[in-house]
Amino acid sequence: MSDLALSPRKPTTSLNGYRVVQSISVFVIALVIISPLFMLFIASLKDDRFQILADMGSFRAFWVDNPTLNNFREVGNFAGELAFGRYLGNSLLILFSTVSFGLIINSMAGFILAWGSLPGRALILSLIIALYVIPQESIIMPLLIIVSRAGLSDTFTAQILPFVASPLYTFLFYQFFAQLPKELYEAASIDGASIFRTWWSIFMPLSLPALATVSILMGIEAWNQYLWPILITQTDYARPISVAIATFFGQDSIFWDRAMAASVLMMIPILIFYLAFQRWFISSFVGSAVKG
Amino acid sequence: MSALTTVPKRRRRSVIARIGWSRFLQEIGMLAPAVLLMTAFLITPFLLSFWTAMTNQPLVPRPTPVRFVGLNNFMRILSDDLFWTSLWNVTRFTIWILPAQCGLAFVTALILNQKIPFRNVFRGMFFLPAITSMVVVCVIWGTLFQYPTGPLNQIVVSLSGGYIQPIDWLGDPNWAMFSIVLLSAWQAYGFQMIIYLAGMQGIADELYDAARIDGAGPWGRFWHVTMPGLRPTHVFVLVITTIQAFKLYTQVAILTQGGPKSSTETVVHYMVRAGFEEQKLGYASAVSVILFLIVLVIALIQRRLMRRFDV
Repeated sequence: MSDLALSPRKPTTSLNGYRVVQSISVFVIALVIISPLFMLFIASLKDDRFQILADMGSFRAFWVDNPTLNNFREVGNFAGELAFGRYLGNSLLILFSTVSFGLIINSMAGFILAWGSLPGRALILSLIIALYVIPQESIIMPLLIIVSRAGLSDTFTAQILPFVASPLYTFLFYQFFAQLPKELYEAASIDGASIFRTWWSIFMPLSLPALATVSILMGIEAWNQYLWPILITQTDYARPISVAIATFFGQDSIFWDRAMAASVLMMIPILIFYLAFQRWFISSFVGSAVKG
Repeated sequence: MSALTTVPKRRRRSVIARIGWSRFLQEIGMLAPAVLLMTAFLITPFLLSFWTAMTNQPLVPRPTPVRFVGLNNFMRILSDDLFWTSLWNVTRFTIWILPAQCGLAFVTALILNQKIPFRNVFRGMFFLPAITSMVVVCVIWGTLFQYPTGPLNQIVVSLSGGYIQPIDWLGDPNWAMFSIVLLSAWQAYGFQMIIYLAGMQGIADELYDAARIDGAGPWGRFWHVTMPGLRPTHVFVLVITTIQAFKLYTQVAILTQGGPKSSTETVVHYMVRAGFEEQKLGYASAVSVILFLIVLVIALIQRRLMRRFDV
C-alpha cells in the first residue's frame, strides 16, 4: 500500500489498483508455468523414486534435504542399458548438424529468391509457400519407404538430411532479405562482389534476428523430434534422447528418479541454446509469420 | 539477327547475357540444395503417398508383388469405427485446447505487453515450456497426474474441501483426453503468446492515444483498439492451433497409448499403429492422405478469413 502512496505524481494514478492486479496475476501465472519445471529439477536430485512421488503432494516437492547426483551418475553412461550420455551426444550431433546446414541452405535459397535473377523465381516461391501446408505427419510413411530403401535406416543422416531444407525457413529468410534496402545489394554489385559473396559477407551479417529466429525454431524442432526417430532408429547407434526417455514409460514400474535426471539432461542443452539466441528471437519472431 | 531467334531461346540467352555464365551458375548452385532436398524429402514422399495409399504396400518388402487396390484402403478406413473415434477424439481435443491454449497465450501476452517490472525476464520464462521436449513434459505431468495422491489430486481435493474425490487423470476414459489437453496447453501456449505479442506491438500507439483523448479507459481501449487490431492475429493463432491439434500424437503415444478404451486414440496414432505396428504401409498412407486433406481444408479456411480481414 505504501508503494502506491509514494507515487502520486504518475499521470495514471487511477490505474494503480489495476497495476496491482496485473503484478499479482503475472506472479501467479509464473508460478503455474515454472513450478512443474522447478519440481523436475528438484526431484532429479533425490535418490529414492518412492520418496519423489511421496514428496510430490506437498511443499517437499520444492525442497531437497540431501541433494545427490546419483541419478545423473546412473543414467550418464555411454554404453549399456542407461546410455543417456550417448543418447544426449546423438541428439546434440543431430541438433547442430540440422541447424547449421539448415541456416546455410535455407538462407542461400531465400537470398536467391529475393535478389537473384533466375527466371521462374516467382514460381518456385509460390510452390514453396504451397508446400508449407503439408504436415510432416502426413508424409512420414512414404518417407520411411524412401529412406529405408536408400539404406539409411538407423543412421544420423536419416535424422538430419530430410529436415535441413524447409519451406517455412526458406520463406522466412526470403522475407527478411527482401525487406533489406536495395542500395545494399546495388553497392555490392557495383563493387564487383559475386552473388555468393554478397550473400555471405553483406546480407548474412545483417541477418542476426532472422538467423536467431530460425535457429531457435529449427533447434527446438530437431531436439524434440519423436515420431520420426522411433520409426527410423532400431539400435543405440543413432537413437536420440527423446526416444530413450520415452522407454521409461514402457516399464511396469517407472523409475521416476532416473527419468527425472534424464529429463534434466535433456533440458540443459536446449536451454543454453535458447538463452544464447533468445535476445534476438523474441523481438523478431513471427511478425513475419503473421503476415505469411 | 535477334529478330529471327525464337522467344524462349532469346529469353534464356538474355538472362545469361545479362548476368553472365558465372553468376548464372552461382545462383543455380545456391538455390539447388534447398530445391533438391525439398524435392527428395517433401515433394516425392508427398506424391508417393497418394500412390501408396492405393496399394497394399507392406512395411517390409515381401516376395509377392505390391498390388494396386484402388480406393479399397479408403473404404476400409471410412468403415472402421476406430478411425471415426480417433477423428472425434482429435475434434474434441481441438474444441478444448483452443480456449485453453489460446486463452492462456492471449492473457499472458496482454500482461507482458504492459509495462510491468522484469518484463523481459517474464517473457523468457513464459516461453520455457515451449522449448521443453514433449517427452520431458510427459515425465513431469506423469508425476503430477499420479493417482490417487499426486499433486493435482491434492490440489483438487483440498480446494474442494474433500468434496471431489481424487481423479484417475490418465486412467479414466472420461478424464484422459482432458488431462492430455491440460499438459498440451501448458507445453505449447508459448508460441501463440509470442505471436500475440507481435500482433499487439503491431498496433500503432497513435490509436491508443486517440482513444485516450476520446476518454476511453483501459477497458474501452482493450475492446475498441486492441481487439479489432488483433483480428488477423486471432485468425492465425486459431488456425495454427487447430492444425497442431489435429496432429496430436506424442503425448498420447507416451502417456496413454490411445487408451483407456480408445478415449485418447488420435488420427496420427491410428496411422502409426497401422503402418508401423501392423506393417500396413498402404493403409497408413491412406490415413495420411486423409490427414493432409483435413489440414488443407483448415488452411484454406484461414486464407478465406485472412482475405476477409484484408491482410
